[in-house]
Amino acid sequence: MKVAGEQILSASRERVWELFNNPARLSRLIPGCEKLEILGPDEYAGTMTVGIAAVKGVYSGKLKLEEKRAPEHYRMVVEGKGKQGFIRGSGTLDLSSKEAGRTVATYAGDVQVGGTLAQVGQRMIDSAAKMMIGQFFAAAAAELKAESVGAVARHGIFINFLRYLLRLLRSLFETLLGRRSN
Amino acid sequence: MFPAPFDYHRAASVKEALGLLGQFGDDAKLLSGGQSLLPMMKLRLAQPAHLIDIGGLRELAAIKEEAGKITIGAAATHNQVETSDLLRARLGVLSECAAEIGDVQVRNRGTIGGSLVHADPAADYPAAILALEAEIKLESASGSRTVKAQDFFVDLLTSAIKPGEILTQVNFVAPAAGTGSAYVKHPQPASGFAIIGVAALLKLDARGNCESVRVGITGLGPKAFRANAVEAALVGKAPTADAIAAAASHAANKVEPMSDIHASADFRAELARVYTRRALEKALSRCKR
Repeated sequence: MKVAGEQILSASRERVWELFNNPARLSRLIPGCEKLEILGPDEYAGTMTVGIAAVKGVYSGKLKLEEKRAPEHYRMVVEGKGKQGFIRGSGTLDLSSKEAGRTVATYAGDVQVGGTLAQVGQRMIDSAAKMMIGQFFAAAAAELKAESVGAVARHGIFINFLRYLLRLLRSLFETLLGRRSN
Repeated sequence: MFPAPFDYHRAASVKEALGLLGQFGDDAKLLSGGQSLLPMMKLRLAQPAHLIDIGGLRELAAIKEEAGKITIGAAATHNQVETSDLLRARLGVLSECAAEIGDVQVRNRGTIGGSLVHADPAADYPAAILALEAEIKLESASGSRTVKAQDFFVDLLTSAIKPGEILTQVNFVAPAAGTGSAYVKHPQPASGFAIIGVAALLKLDARGNCESVRVGITGLGPKAFRANAVEAALVGKAPTADAIAAAASHAANKVEPMSDIHASADFRAELARVYTRRALEKALSRCKR
């Protein structure tokens, strides 16, 4: 099965690249993935719980990043196995800057699904794969948004005002108690 | 083909079923007609530890009309929907749709509630449910809520039902007198699932122009949908063959068609256009003024 498409993310290419290369953050984007353990350079192991309708299965597998050219390109190779079937595939991810703060993520890959799951679910595997890719990018968009909101807040006027107040109170206390520790 | 072991609970009421659902949580599945769940369990793709049977609940099987509202209980079988005199007279498109589901065995066991929560992208009912603008009632331990058909089908095999909820009723307001309706489908020959299924409702105004048009399409994308572009293209116009064909050409707008060994994406999109035209023509032939 071939998968291909593109998604626009509201963040700079560098930030998107960092997100897609950080195993702790990447694991939060992969639907049903609990965590990714580091096996070696750019090689990770993890488990993924996939539940669509009553069909629920746990898959364990490996994920490898190859052909890395920061911050624009890599190839992802995945293989996973569960009781209901297996999945093997690889695909490329390319990031290009559209305008300031917007990145186009283009992906293309080939995935093989086998076992009972593929035999019975044949008519839906395509759509299931598309749905999961959609969930992945939706999670990525949410993660990038949360990150930028966090960044704004850190430099926000409100936070600075609170800090100023805190400093004022502290110096007041210190004056009252007659000592200066800082 | 035997399922993995499970405990069977026969609920005596919706309340008891909700209690059991709360008790077993994720380990439990509700069983109604079992026409989608049991095959998956036999293939061991689904292995729930507990089955809570609500299929036999009389309170869920009623089909009735009260104060202009038609209610179908979740456990009403496809056969009941197909043969009910009330539904044939007032919601003809739904009975026509039910008659097209699977085979006799499936229609005798399968239920409307089970089919809807399963949200199979090729199921027949969603097309008619969307065109009829049904409302779906969901009950949980903390109360009940109503979801519009439009919002009920979320994605592939995903409906708006949440864990701990039971679909108890599907509610309808019958289309205005004189409305013509039709459900037509291109079935997958082995399973009977809709490769494309289209439900159309058409009402003409006094001058013979299209006053209201409602079209639901199943089988094309990962979820059934209302074909708004088709509807908009026809409202206010005279229902000529050309106008209907032009409107039907919008059937696959904004949908990424599914693709499998039975029908490629392009073929599915073409089928959607052809069957939308046929559904509208058939609905038109049934309009009364």
